Amino acid sequence: MLYDLRRADARIKWLVTCLLATFGLSYIFGALMVSLYAGFTPARVAATYAGPEMSMPMPPETTMVVNRPMSMADFAKPEVHTVDTNLLIQDTHVHVPMYGVIAAALGVVVLGLSLRRAWAFGLITLLFAAPWLDFGGMWLTKFASPRFAILTLAGGWAMGVGYLVVTALAVYQMWRSPKGAEP
Amino acid sequence: MSWLIRAAAVAALLHITPAVVLVKRPDAVQALLPGADTYFAREVHLSDTDAHRLHEAVDWSPEDGVLAFYTGKTGSTTVGALEFVRVDTPHGPLEVAVGFTSEGRIRGVIVTKATVEMKPWVLEAVAGGLTERYRDLKPGDTPAGALALAGRAGNLAVYIAGEVDKGVARALAAYGAFYNHVRT
Repeated sequence: MLYDLRRADARIKWLVTCLLATFGLSYIFGALMVSLYAGFTPARVAATYAGPEMSMPMPPETTMVVNRPMSMADFAKPEVHTVDTNLLIQDTHVHVPMYGVIAAALGVVVLGLSLRRAWAFGLITLLFAAPWLDFGGMWLTKFASPRFAILTLAGGWAMGVGYLVVTALAVYQMWRSPKGAEP
Repeated sequence: MSWLIRAAAVAALLHITPAVVLVKRPDAVQALLPGADTYFAREVHLSDTDAHRLHEAVDWSPEDGVLAFYTGKTGSTTVGALEFVRVDTPHGPLEVAVGFTSEGRIRGVIVTKATVEMKPWVLEAVAGGLTERYRDLKPGDTPAGALALAGRAGNLAVYIAGEVDKGVARALAAYGAFYNHVRT
């Protein structure tokens, strides 16, 4: 063990607790945002990321026009939020570094937990695998098959599970276990 | 540890905030096609050649290679046409509605969507008269809203005006080349 959160100074325990609480808050709103813009089912995730690009016909040989009548109600129809390739490039560029930093911060907490090495390796791998699955799923959904939406869902759940496991263990070991409770 | 904090701060700053609707599409349609009582969608499916031509002109390709124009009529009289153009910025997507008169000049421009982060910049730019700058422009003209706001509004409002300029330029190029010049 590189350091032991159970025996750490109370200020470090407090810092870790605040960090975990802050991540928890952002994860709650992250989940709300996913429910608003993508959803929690493979079909909704596929509609968001695969979008019409998956079924887009080849461009016509010559430009052609289709006219159809519209009603005001058609303008008011809720739009399915879609993420096209340009936006996905941008999302990947800004989100993946952030997820890496969060996984690293949670990984540092894991290093201070009293765990078997194999469990620690597993947890750290889970923390970093989650964003890879998340964004890998998005790209594969867009360019390979909508079925890969399941990977994005798995990534999202893995992120949540990783956070909850690390938080539960850290809070218990820092504040509840006999060694952690020592002054 | 400081690199970690700096990296987190940079990542947080770059995080794209959720989209917000500034003006609902039906409201934009009514404002930009005043008096119209019937509407028609005119979807122009671009060939590779035409898509390339448009891309060369304004560094933009419409989603799925389809330009959507909406025409409004009162009885048999055409009121004008309307386009919704999306601009992807480093801060998230922006949507601009550009309405044309039946003579082919810009009747009005409305920013219909932005992100939570960009909303105050858009509101400041619009309050500074940004959208008035586009009135009467015709295909071939260059929108210069950002230039007009420079020095009279905050840097971020001027920045967002530049992004709105891009949307208007795309609408002008698309309208000029493809609204009336493709046979159905």
